[in-house]
Amino acid sequence: MDVFKKLVRKGYVSSQTKISADKLQDITGMQIPLSLELNENLQTLQTIYENCLYVVFHNFLISGKTNALLIFIEGLSDKDMINEYVLTPLSQGTSEVQESTPIVQNKISLSNHKEVKTFEEVIEQVSMGNPVLLIDKEMNGIALNLSKWEHRSIQEPVAEPIIKGPREGFTETLSVNMSLLLRKIKSPLFKMNSVKLGRYTQTQIVVAYIEGLADPNLVQEVMNRLERIDMDGVLESGYIEEMIEDNPFSPFPQLLTTERPDAVAAQLLEGRVSILVDGTPIVIVVPTTLFSLLQSPEDYYQRFMISSMIRWLRYLFVVIALVAPSVYVAILTYHQEMVPTTLLLSISKSREDIPFPAFFEALLMEITFEALREAGIRLPKQVGSAVSIVGALVIGQAATAAGLVSSPMVMVVALTGIASFMIPHYSTGVSFRLLRFPLMILAGILGLLGVVLGMITIVIHLCTLRSFGVPYMTPLAPMKTRDMKDVLVRAPWWMLKTRPHLTGAGNKYRQSPGEIPGSSKGDESE
Amino acid sequence: MIEKGKISSLQMAMIMYPVVVATGDLFIPAVTAKHANRDLWISPLWGSLIGFFVVYIIFQLHKLFPKETLIQQTERIFGRIVGKIIGISFLFVMLQINSQIIRQYGQFVGNVFLVKTPILIVIGSIVLVCGFAVRGGLEVIARCAQLFVPIVLLTWVLFFILLIPDMEPRNMLPIMAKGILPSIKGAIPQAAIFEHFVLLTFMLPYLTDLKKGMKWGVISVFITMLTLVLITMSSLFIFGDITSELAFPVMIAIRYIEMAGFIEHLEALMMAIWVIGTFLKISTYYYVFVLGISQWLHLSDYRPMVFPSGFLLIAFSIWVATDVQEFLHFLSTVSYFQSASFEIGIPTILLLAALAQKKIRKNKEGKKG
Repeated sequence: MDVFKKLVRKGYVSSQTKISADKLQDITGMQIPLSLELNENLQTLQTIYENCLYVVFHNFLISGKTNALLIFIEGLSDKDMINEYVLTPLSQGTSEVQESTPIVQNKISLSNHKEVKTFEEVIEQVSMGNPVLLIDKEMNGIALNLSKWEHRSIQEPVAEPIIKGPREGFTETLSVNMSLLLRKIKSPLFKMNSVKLGRYTQTQIVVAYIEGLADPNLVQEVMNRLERIDMDGVLESGYIEEMIEDNPFSPFPQLLTTERPDAVAAQLLEGRVSILVDGTPIVIVVPTTLFSLLQSPEDYYQRFMISSMIRWLRYLFVVIALVAPSVYVAILTYHQEMVPTTLLLSISKSREDIPFPAFFEALLMEITFEALREAGIRLPKQVGSAVSIVGALVIGQAATAAGLVSSPMVMVVALTGIASFMIPHYSTGVSFRLLRFPLMILAGILGLLGVVLGMITIVIHLCTLRSFGVPYMTPLAPMKTRDMKDVLVRAPWWMLKTRPHLTGAGNKYRQSPGEIPGSSKGDESE
Repeated sequence: MIEKGKISSLQMAMIMYPVVVATGDLFIPAVTAKHANRDLWISPLWGSLIGFFVVYIIFQLHKLFPKETLIQQTERIFGRIVGKIIGISFLFVMLQINSQIIRQYGQFVGNVFLVKTPILIVIGSIVLVCGFAVRGGLEVIARCAQLFVPIVLLTWVLFFILLIPDMEPRNMLPIMAKGILPSIKGAIPQAAIFEHFVLLTFMLPYLTDLKKGMKWGVISVFITMLTLVLITMSSLFIFGDITSELAFPVMIAIRYIEMAGFIEHLEALMMAIWVIGTFLKISTYYYVFVLGISQWLHLSDYRPMVFPSGFLLIAFSIWVATDVQEFLHFLSTVSYFQSASFEIGIPTILLLAALAQKKIRKNKEGKKG
């Protein structure tokens, strides 16, 4: 009986959602043109905005004669500006004749307004915060660009701090983010296309690229994949990230996400396409490769030798983050002979009282570490320091003193933790941290052989991946010798003559030749 | 075509290198030394002639029938029924050779590293991993090879450098004490290695830059020869006359490595590198079998065949011999003739038949004209 009831309820719920979806379709798909009679328009709009107490319908007379209606949403539009630049000039003076749209437009001293013809457009503009002015006996209304809402100011990016380089980060407001990019790239070839996604949220999404650098097919593919999305709402770029990936079942991010305008600008100059989503500071860049995800924008601001060294260090620690605990487990469980005798003696001395096998010890510590890390993010700042103290005690001293964990294991786990934070892009670091657990299990079962097989499987997977058609492991596999200069090392800027092979093929050179500097011989003042 | 991926000829060479060198590198010095004694380092030079010959034949066949693999070529040359029979027997030998490789792998890992683990687990795990690569197709195998081969090569070079202090070059004297014959006899197991170049036929149709294909084919034979000469020479320098008595001379040599009192017992690292090479070798043979059988059956996709073939491989690698003695006996006797007749014999006969057909056709046209 219960099952039956549940089924009925389910059916009921689904039919109801269908109805509301239909209604939504009716409103958004309303291509009905506005009527000549202002009263008719008012009635239609009032039925649409039934029970919407946030919408303001303001009736007034233009020049004491013509009926007019101003519709806006309180809180999204700038009331002061409306009073000062719209209502005041329009109500002033008297006129005997019926006012027409051009005259009204002249009277309003605003730089940006747009004519609207249908109800759909009216609704769209009103929901964006732009007040719409409807005039009696006029076919078209006027949408005034007076939107204003509270937003965060530009701040330093929290998740991607750097030492040398610009300090600004994207904010939640799309127009601000666009202006941040436009401040960096000042060419008219810098193009932005817009898409609206989300049945209810109607989130504005901007696809930015540089014409002549980005492959037109790539831009088209990005637009196609975005337009295919039909979901209730897009609240963060993570929503569409999962909807446009090439391989949905992969632990690795196939798109680059960043909150740094300078990083996005650099990627655009390499011929990539970026996707800006309203309401989030996280911007998507496609296509990407594993090696772009392991690079920081700061690599290009430091001296090239230092950057190259840091890149090597980073690659080394990526491997450590992935395999350190599993190799430790494998060696201690199966291949003790690999460890030099004195080191083996000191390790076994510290492991004497430990009741667990190395595998369980490692698993225990790694899970504790992950929990502490997650708690550190979620906890309010005031409590955060307390957690870190307790965490340090739990992980470090108490556990070893109680004889639950050996101190070499604490070192391995701490090293792994630090190593995983060396990866500049947070989401990439998380992927590597996740993969460490299956590797540990393999190490516990098959020893080093298991680790090797696990690594091979990961490499196979990485070689299968593509990001918008670009193989994930370029330029190592498939090998592109010319692109190695920006992967194995960070070549000095005067040597980075060509764009990456697979994104900037249409426009190969990004510098004129012979840019290598040197002391000029003619200016010697001796 | 069933395979939609494309590879470059550099990638092809990188696939072929582990296919030819991996697994064999461990025991080839011992097997060669049994026949060639102190001249074992000359044997790869003779063996490489077979390699060049096979590459030449495969390229000639490819010129006659571009865009086709050996399985399709046999059908084209010998007609449907005979072609199918030759094709399936060739594929069966591919399966058989691959299961030998897998058994060698299982035997070695089981003997040396995971003594208590059942061989089925060792074999099953590698076949599963290779199955993933094969499912990805030729492109994925090529990319894996491109990532792994440099690492494998660098590690071998590192081992070689670390072993230099233990080497005694005088061990190779006198050269050719008993004439040229022992080194040629020693070339028989070497030739069995170089015959693996027949797999090129399954890669040539998918090359993006065919013009460089011949060049890279020859280069990979040459580098293989160089590697084998280095391996045999270094084990001769280290062990001298007892090389033939050891089962895995290279591994024992690596056990000798000790640097700074800290770097020692590198055989686990060697095993890791060796497993990577073996993985590439098994995957390539596995892929060739899967691709060949799908072409033989005229399937539109080879992916459904991957995991069934994997089960077949696991079963065959167990069936290939009942115990180690029998297996080693098989490897040092029958397997040479088996691989020689199928990996050299069939392509040669195919080429001769194709050329004869071409001539007959020309003659006929000439008579008509």
